[in-house]
Amino acid sequence: MQQQPQPQPSPSPKPKKKIRVPRVVNGVEQMVEIEVDENAGPGWGANDKHTLLNHKITRVDGPLKVTGVARYTYDQRLPGMLYGCILRCPYGHARVTKIDTEAASRIPGVKAIVQAPLTELRFAGAPVAAVAATTPEIAGDALRAIKVTYEVLPHVVHAPAAIKPDAPKVVAEESNLQEKAKNGDLQKAEAAFANADAIVEAEYISQRLHHACLETHGMVVDYRGGDSATIYASTQGTFTIPGDAAKELGLEQSKVVSSVEHMGGGFGSKFGIGTEGMFACRLSKETKSPVKLMLTRYDEFVMAGNRSGSWQKLKAGAKNDGTIVALTARQYRLGGIGQGSQAGQPYIYRMGDTYREVYALHTNEDSSIAMRAPGHPQASFAVESLVDELAYKIKMDPVEFRKKNLRDEVYHRQLDRGSREIGWSRRNPIAGGNPGPLKRGMGCAVGTWGGGGNNQCKVDVTISRDGSVLVAVGTQDLGTGTRTYTRAIVAEELGLGIKDVKEQIGNSTLGAANPSGGSTTAPSLSPSVKDAAIKARMLVAERVAPLLGNAKPEEIVFAGGNVSAKGQSLSWKQAAAALPAAGITSHGEWRADLQARGVHGVCFAEVEVDVETGHIRPVKMVHIQDGGLPLNRLTMESQINGGMIQSLGMALYEGRVMDAQLGMQLNPGFGDYKLPGSLEMPEMVPIIDDDDKREAVIGIAEGCIIPAVGALVNAVFNATGVRVRELPITPDKILIGLMT
Amino acid sequence: MTKSRDDHDPGRRNFLKGVGIAGAGAAIADHLWVEAEAAEKPPTSETLSGTVKVILDVNGQQRSVQVEPRTTLLNALRNHLEPALTGPKLVCDVGTCGACTVLLDGKPAYSCLVFAVDATNKKITTVEGLGSPDNPNAVQAAFVEHDALMCGFCTPGFVTTISAYLKKNPTPTLAEVREACKGNFCRCGTYPRVFEAALAAAKGSQA
Repeated sequence: MQQQPQPQPSPSPKPKKKIRVPRVVNGVEQMVEIEVDENAGPGWGANDKHTLLNHKITRVDGPLKVTGVARYTYDQRLPGMLYGCILRCPYGHARVTKIDTEAASRIPGVKAIVQAPLTELRFAGAPVAAVAATTPEIAGDALRAIKVTYEVLPHVVHAPAAIKPDAPKVVAEESNLQEKAKNGDLQKAEAAFANADAIVEAEYISQRLHHACLETHGMVVDYRGGDSATIYASTQGTFTIPGDAAKELGLEQSKVVSSVEHMGGGFGSKFGIGTEGMFACRLSKETKSPVKLMLTRYDEFVMAGNRSGSWQKLKAGAKNDGTIVALTARQYRLGGIGQGSQAGQPYIYRMGDTYREVYALHTNEDSSIAMRAPGHPQASFAVESLVDELAYKIKMDPVEFRKKNLRDEVYHRQLDRGSREIGWSRRNPIAGGNPGPLKRGMGCAVGTWGGGGNNQCKVDVTISRDGSVLVAVGTQDLGTGTRTYTRAIVAEELGLGIKDVKEQIGNSTLGAANPSGGSTTAPSLSPSVKDAAIKARMLVAERVAPLLGNAKPEEIVFAGGNVSAKGQSLSWKQAAAALPAAGITSHGEWRADLQARGVHGVCFAEVEVDVETGHIRPVKMVHIQDGGLPLNRLTMESQINGGMIQSLGMALYEGRVMDAQLGMQLNPGFGDYKLPGSLEMPEMVPIIDDDDKREAVIGIAEGCIIPAVGALVNAVFNATGVRVRELPITPDKILIGLMT
Repeated sequence: MTKSRDDHDPGRRNFLKGVGIAGAGAAIADHLWVEAEAAEKPPTSETLSGTVKVILDVNGQQRSVQVEPRTTLLNALRNHLEPALTGPKLVCDVGTCGACTVLLDGKPAYSCLVFAVDATNKKITTVEGLGSPDNPNAVQAAFVEHDALMCGFCTPGFVTTISAYLKKNPTPTLAEVREACKGNFCRCGTYPRVFEAALAAAKGSQA
């Protein structure tokens, strides 16, 4: 049975090419250049020829999650574990002059108190100290017993106040307003307005939003003295944890393992150990005991980051034939003490001669951080409102007007499809023109994203002699379905069912993986999984070839749980029995040719507005999303739904409310910060754009959160004739609009 | 404190009506608390010491925990019970999100709003008591089938709420399902499929 290995010619170096790929650092994409093989191997095949992928596959971790068995970071409980919590600064701007922990440390059960460095605190909620105690209740007692003396400094929390020359300075000696970029030719753009038949000049403001992950930020640090530690972290990046934790614990990075079995939502906010992780490590190091430090919901609102707000002053002009000829934009990123984020205008649309200035405008609020499609929904909301205003002004159908100014034909196709799905022909072209107090209206918008991958994932597939198959990689599943498609790719390649393969993920001792940000996970991970699976198939094929009439390995077919060639067939178990005692393990690397970059989405919304109360009822939302090869139609549709629902929150309900006098957030809880709930749900139609024939995996999570806000805002205008330019569109804004 | 709740609605909104101004002013109160507390005497050990033994009837078993009287049922289940029950999740800890929902004598309740000492005479059912991965109840099975979960952190609360509701109303309409889970929040955006799963579970149980 054993064949002599053929003498191999010395391999000539494979042709290489240079490509640019996205890499995510703290949730933000950066482009880097890498080298990849020109001819890498077999592809995915046609999108409609798959046996598992591009089908509806139920989540493999579903049964664990619906029965409460799935163990999240928050659920970890270790012997002797202490509970940590954080004391926050109550002032918008202050300096700590003294911390007295004497009384707190005398409370029975309090094991350690650590202080933050005595720096200037620039927002209400900034951490001051942390406590570890035997129960969370006692830890809370200790927080209340710590006496902090503050020197209170002047603060400013609202952008219009912060931009004034005499405003309190967020950072001493620095202007609150920082110029970031100037692009385009202002004189040319201004001259081009002369060619416009209609001009719209308006200001659009989007609010600070909260990620509101149901599992708060935090970790369990299992350190009991000695030279090693395990960190259970609620994170979007398994491999973003050990390095920073090791530094805090004073250990070698190789001795610190992170574990992310299941995690309860991130949306861009969970990379690295964070302030809470720093405190957890320090408390654990001091007590030589495991410490669990999960933020409270209040903490989560005031110190765990948020979506950057935006203030955009836009002016655009269009000809009566529908061509947009010019745009000038002044864009303020409202990121609190952080830099904020906002895609540059004009976003997606072609607008002739354009000019923009971008600024960061600082306030005494905690730093904005990445949130699903950082900077895009803000830019989309403003430009889609602006485009809609222009369309109404020149009396052109908003769909036709958009097509006129969108170069990419994919949008044209998707806009046509969306029009049919929502019933655009039923729409009254006159805004507010429907009779009666309950007025319906429709709107639409488009979105884009990259969604390409990079070469960070290393995947191992092991096949044992009993036929069991394990695919292992350290990646994390945020609820996007990573576990499920990882398993499905291997199962399909080996001709097996989804239950015949097991996956192991969420641990830093496994193969490296990229952090999950910017829709980069699927396009980074799945090519490596596919590569490992192909190599595993070939290793099995080489072993069973002698049992199948000495067929060439690449001729052997793996399908339906059988391995066949030359009219002979083995069951999977029989084939596996031919493997060596230790089984086989293949190692997969990323392949650029199995992924692609660039997605398109359009959203249509229908709303019903009660013009007597200002109440808005979302009636129906349709989102069409392309994404190359859909790995799992069931979870992809769920992601599209999720994008629409989170946008619904941004458009109509959510927003941080800051008190100018106190300098603090007034609504840091679900009682006052309104998330979309079951009663607000419209009929939702998530549509996968199967006209996209790219045989490549592309990330779609960001793409499907971008256009819905614009669609909803424009639907409200179509229903009422009221153009609300500041989010969220609460009933009071409708009523004020109707009165003026 | 759970007595006033109506039969199927764990009642975020009803609860909020009850707390009224106190709830709305909580943010400011927290702000003032720091200064007020600092001026007072530190708590003495007398006020903090003292745990009581509590027998809880959880998922058909008599389980004993030693807790302070101020310990919530949720924290007793998660932090004190040995082995722990961590199906009910701690998300808001103030009765606004529904992730900690358990059944008390068959009725949904936010376990973060119930003291463990007040739950001694009730039959407590957590999501673990409704079914297991190998033997899920109809709602759990339908949740998997219809992908009514993503990150899964809100899921135990929804499953528990809906399981209880279908016992009360085995043939609900979509509007009734929405109403039944208005006290549960999801952030990933699973609502449409939660509704589908609930209706499918109801239909399946009828067949």
